[in-house]
Amino acid sequence: MGKIDQASDKRPDPDALLALAGQDRRGKLTVFLGAAPGVGKTYAMLARARQARHEGIDVVVGLVETHGRTETAALLKGLDVLPRLEVDYRGHKLREFDIDAALARKPRLVIVDELAHTNPPDSRHPKRYQDVAELIDAGIDVWTALNIQHIESLSDVVASITGVTVQESVPDAVLSNADEVVVVDITPTELIKRLQDGKVYLPDNAARAAEGFFKPGNLTALRELALRRTADRVDDQMVDFLRQNAIEGPWASGERLLVCVSANAHAAAVIRSAARLASGLNARWIALHAERPGHEPASPETVQQLAAALHLAERLGAETRRLSAKDLPREILRFARSENVTQLVLGRSRAGWWRRLRGRSLPDEIIRQGMDIGIHIVTTDEEPAPPRRRRLPKPAYLGTAAIATLASVACAIGVGLSISEFVALPNLSMVFLTAVLFSALTYGVWPAIGTALLSFLAYNFFFIAPVNTLTIAEPHELFALMIFLIVAVFTGGLAGRVRDQAEATRLRVRTIQSLYEFSRKLSGTAKLDDVLWAASAHIHETVGGAVALLMPRDGDLALVMAWPPEDTLGTSEMTAARWAYEKGEPAGAGTGTLPNIRLQFRPLLTPRATVGVCGMALPPAGDVRAAETERALSAILNQTATAIDRALLVVETARADALEQSEKLRTALLSSISHDLRTPLATITGAVTSLRTFGPELGEASRSDLLQSIDEEAARLSRFVSNLLDMTRIEAGPLDATRDWVDIADTIRTAVARARDAFPGQAITVSLAPDLPLVRGDSTLLGQVLFNLLDNAQKYGDSSAGTVVFARKDRDWLVISVTDQGRGIAEADLERVFDKFHRLAAADGRAPGTGLGLSICRGLIEAMDGTIHAESPAARRRGTRIVIRLPVADGTVPVEAMP
Amino acid sequence: MSGERILIVDDEPQIQRFLKHALHAAGYETIEALGGAEALQAIATAAPDAVVLDLGLPDMDGKDVLRQVRAWSQVPIIVLSARDREAEKIAALDLGADDYVEKPFGIGELLARLRSSLRHKARDAGEATQFENGGLAVDTLKRLVSRDGVPLRLTPREYDLLAVLVRHVGRVVTHRQLLTSVWGPAHVDDMQYLRVFIGQLRGKIERDPNEPKLLRTEPGVGYRLLEN
Repeated sequence: MGKIDQASDKRPDPDALLALAGQDRRGKLTVFLGAAPGVGKTYAMLARARQARHEGIDVVVGLVETHGRTETAALLKGLDVLPRLEVDYRGHKLREFDIDAALARKPRLVIVDELAHTNPPDSRHPKRYQDVAELIDAGIDVWTALNIQHIESLSDVVASITGVTVQESVPDAVLSNADEVVVVDITPTELIKRLQDGKVYLPDNAARAAEGFFKPGNLTALRELALRRTADRVDDQMVDFLRQNAIEGPWASGERLLVCVSANAHAAAVIRSAARLASGLNARWIALHAERPGHEPASPETVQQLAAALHLAERLGAETRRLSAKDLPREILRFARSENVTQLVLGRSRAGWWRRLRGRSLPDEIIRQGMDIGIHIVTTDEEPAPPRRRRLPKPAYLGTAAIATLASVACAIGVGLSISEFVALPNLSMVFLTAVLFSALTYGVWPAIGTALLSFLAYNFFFIAPVNTLTIAEPHELFALMIFLIVAVFTGGLAGRVRDQAEATRLRVRTIQSLYEFSRKLSGTAKLDDVLWAASAHIHETVGGAVALLMPRDGDLALVMAWPPEDTLGTSEMTAARWAYEKGEPAGAGTGTLPNIRLQFRPLLTPRATVGVCGMALPPAGDVRAAETERALSAILNQTATAIDRALLVVETARADALEQSEKLRTALLSSISHDLRTPLATITGAVTSLRTFGPELGEASRSDLLQSIDEEAARLSRFVSNLLDMTRIEAGPLDATRDWVDIADTIRTAVARARDAFPGQAITVSLAPDLPLVRGDSTLLGQVLFNLLDNAQKYGDSSAGTVVFARKDRDWLVISVTDQGRGIAEADLERVFDKFHRLAAADGRAPGTGLGLSICRGLIEAMDGTIHAESPAARRRGTRIVIRLPVADGTVPVEAMP
Repeated sequence: MSGERILIVDDEPQIQRFLKHALHAAGYETIEALGGAEALQAIATAAPDAVVLDLGLPDMDGKDVLRQVRAWSQVPIIVLSARDREAEKIAALDLGADDYVEKPFGIGELLARLRSSLRHKARDAGEATQFENGGLAVDTLKRLVSRDGVPLRLTPREYDLLAVLVRHVGRVVTHRQLLTSVWGPAHVDDMQYLRVFIGQLRGKIERDPNEPKLLRTEPGVGYRLLEN
C-alpha cells in the first residue's frame, strides 16, 4: 500500500500529521466508557473535574444526572453548573442541556453526561452527541459518559447478548474520534451488589428489563465488549504514534474491506458485521451499492432502505459508493481490485430458487470469479423477512381498478353469453383472456391477476356444465379451466408488468423532459432574478410544496425568492438555513439537524463556493413521489447552483466593466483638465516671470503684449472654470433655470460680442428674423450656451469661412442655429458629441476642448424645456449646424412686465 | 553670448508669444514652429543653436520629433512637459533630450537650462572634464576629487558615478543613463545600486548630506550636478 511506501522514506505520514494539526484547533473529547449503568462513570467524571478545577482549569458542568445519589451530588458542590433549558414537550416540562448557554459561556471544559441521550423534538440537534460535536468544533473540551451498549455497531450484539434492544445509539466514529477514552470498570459481582444495595438508579423503562439485564453472564459479556473496544483504541493510538513518528511497521494491516449493500431488510445487519470486521482488521472500508441498469430501486421503501443502509455505513465510518453495471459480479470485482480491496463482505443474496438452482446467485458468481479476495458471506440468524408486499395503491385508484375489473369481467360474461346465443363456440376462454389483457394494460399487474381469478370463477359459473354452479362435470373441462387460469395469470402478469414499466418509463421521461426544459430555461437567462424565479418555480413543481431560496447578503443569509411568495422564514428555519450554508450539508426537515421544521434546507454548491441555500417542503418520506422527486432534485439543485453562479459572474463582469468605464472617464477628465488648466497657467507664469526678470529690458510693446496675454489667458481659465462649475450644477440635480422673459435677439447679440472679443480671428455673421418672440428662461445661461457653441465653431470650423448665427420663429418654437464651415461631424457622432467628455479631434489633429461644452449646452437647454441637436453636413457637404429649439412663451407679455 | 537662435516648438500661440518676448529680452533670436513637421524642417534649414520642444504636439508625438532630430543633429533640445508625465520626460531624456522644464515654469528656470545646454554645445559635444562648485573640485582628466583642497577618497564606483555627472554638469542625467554607464546595460533596473551609491557619494561630497546643495534629485527622473 501507498502508506507503507511513504513510511519507508522514514518521513512522517502527511495524513497523520494533518489529522493531528486538525485536532489542535478543536476542543478535545474525553469519553468515560462503562459496560453498564451504575459502574460509576458520572462519579469518576466529576471527581476528575474537581481535580481539574483545583488545577485552575475553567470547568463548567453542562449537565449531570445525579439520579438522587448523594455521593455524586456532593461532588457537584463548588463546581460551576449551567442552568438547564426548560422545554415543554407534550405537557411535560423537560429540563435539557442548554447548548447555547454553554457556547456563550465558552469555558475551557464542559461536562455533559449521557452522550447517547435523544433530545426532545424542536431541539437544534436530535441527538446529544451532535451537541457535543458542536461544542468541540467551537474549541471547547468536553467530558462525557457512555455505556458500551449504546455504540451503534454493537447494538445488535448487545441485543443478542442481553435480549434488550437499545433505542438510543451513538455512531462508532464518535468513540473512535474521541481524544481520550477512560474506562470505568468494576467487576460484575460488585455491580450486582451495588444494584442490590439500591445504589444504581434505573429509569422506569429499563427497570423492567433490569432483571434480565443485570445477570453476571450479560455483565461479563458487556464488560468484555467495553474492554476490548478500548484495547482496540489503544492499538489504534499505537499505530498512529508509529505513523506520526515514521517508525517502520509492521503496523498497518493493509486490509481494505468492501461490503456490498442491497436494498433490503438485511442491509443493516450486513453493514454492522462488515463494520465489526473492518474494525477488527483495522481496515478502511467501503460500502458499495451495485445495481443493474433498469433495476434501480423503484419503490420509495427500497429507496429509503437503501439510503438508510448507506447512511448507517457512513456513520460506522465507511466510504459509500454506487455502481451501475450490467454484469454485476464482474463489475463488483473490478471495482474491488481498483480500490485494492482485500476482503469482500456479501449478504446472502435473495436470489430466487431458480437462479440458485443454476448456481447464479451473486455470491456464488463472485466466489466463482474472485481469485485473490477474501469473501465473507453474512447470513442472519432469523429468516430473511419476506419481501415486503407491494405498497397498496391509493384507495381511489384501488376503487376504480376494482370497478374496472368487475366491469371487464361482466362485459366478458355478457359478450360470452350473447355469442353463445348465436354460435355454439366450444371454448369461450378467449373472451375472458381479452378482459384480463384489458385490465392488465389499463390498470397494471394486480388488477390483471384479479381479473384472471374472477374470470376463472365466472367462466366456470356461466359457461361450464353444469352451468350456474361452480362445479365441473367433465374432467377435461377442469383441465381446460386450470390451463385457462394459468395462462390468464401469466399473460395478465406479463402484460401488467409491461404496462408498469411503461408507466415508470413515462414518469422518468417526464422527469428528464422537465429537467431538460429547466436547463433550457436557465441557459436562456443570465439575470439573477430570472434564474431565481425559474429555479423556484421549477423546484416547486418538482417537490409540490413551498420553496425558499436564500443567498448571502451583507454577511447573512437573506430570502431572495420564495414560492409561493412569502416574506419571512421563522427563526429556527433561518438557523437551519445558516447551518446548511455554513456546513454545506442539508438541514431541517428529514435531516439530523433541526428535523422538526417545515422545510428542508440544502446548500447550493458549485466548485467555486456555496452560492446559497434552497429550502423546500419535501413530500413525506412514504409518498410515492419521494423516490422520483429525490432523483430529480439533486440534478435540479446542481443546475440551479451553477446557474446562480453564472448569473453572479455576469453581474461581477458587468460591475468590472462599469468600473473600467468610469476609470476611462476619470482619465479623460484628468487629461482634459490638465491640458486646459495648464496651458493658460503656463502662459501666465511664463509671462509674469518674464516681466519680473527683464522688466525694462523688454520694450514697451513687448510689455503690453505680455500683459495682454496674461489677461486673455486669465479669461480662458475663468471660462473653463465656469464650465466646470456649470457642469457640476447640472450634475447635482434638476437645474433651476430662472424663468424670466428673455429677448433672444439681445442675448444673441451679447454672446456674439463676447465671442468676437475672445476670438478676434473668427468671422461671425448674425441673421435674425424680425419680431422674434420672447421665450421664458435664463438669459445668462442661454448666453453661455451660445458662447459655447461659438467657441466650438471657432475650434472646429474653418475660421476664414466664418460662422453664421440664425434665429427665426417656427410655429410655437423659437429656432436658433449656429452653423460653421468646418469639416462636419460623422453621422455616428451626431448624438455622441453631447456626451460628457466626448471630444472630436480639432481641424489640426488635436482635441482641444474638455468635451464638456456641448454636454453643458444640452443640460441647460433641457432645463429650459428646449431641445438641442446637431446636423451635419450643414451645407455643400461641409460644416456643422447646431439647432436649438425653445418653446415660445405663452400668450402676450403681461402689461406689468412692460416698462 | 548673444545672437544665438532658439527654435520654439509649441502649438499654443500664447506660449509662443511670451517666450518670444522673454528670449528676445535675454538676447536670443527666436524661430517659431507650431507643429512637429514644421520643427523638423526648421532645424534642418535654419540651424538653430537650441530647441525648446513641447512634447504635446498636434501633428506628431514630440518624442518622434526628438528621435528623428537625433538621427542627424546634436542640437541641444530642452523639452517642455507636464509634471505628471514622468514616463514621458524620462523617455524624452533617454532619446537624447538635453534637459527638461516642467509646465508651468518660470522664465528664469528655462533660461538657466538653455544657458547650460548652450555652454555644453560650445564645449565640443558637452564633454566637461573639470568641475568646481561649493568647495568641491573634480578633474576627470587627472582623476582628482577634492573638497576645500583636501583630496577625497572615493571608491571606483563612486568616482565613475561622479564622473558621469560632471560630464553632464548642470543637466539632468536619468537613472537609466547613470546605471548603464556605471554598471552596464544589464543593470538598468537595479535602482537600489544607484540609491545606495548616491547616498554614499553625497556623504563624501556634500557639506550636509541631508541638505544636498550639489547633487540634486530630480524626482522620478534622475540626478543633476549643479553648477555655480
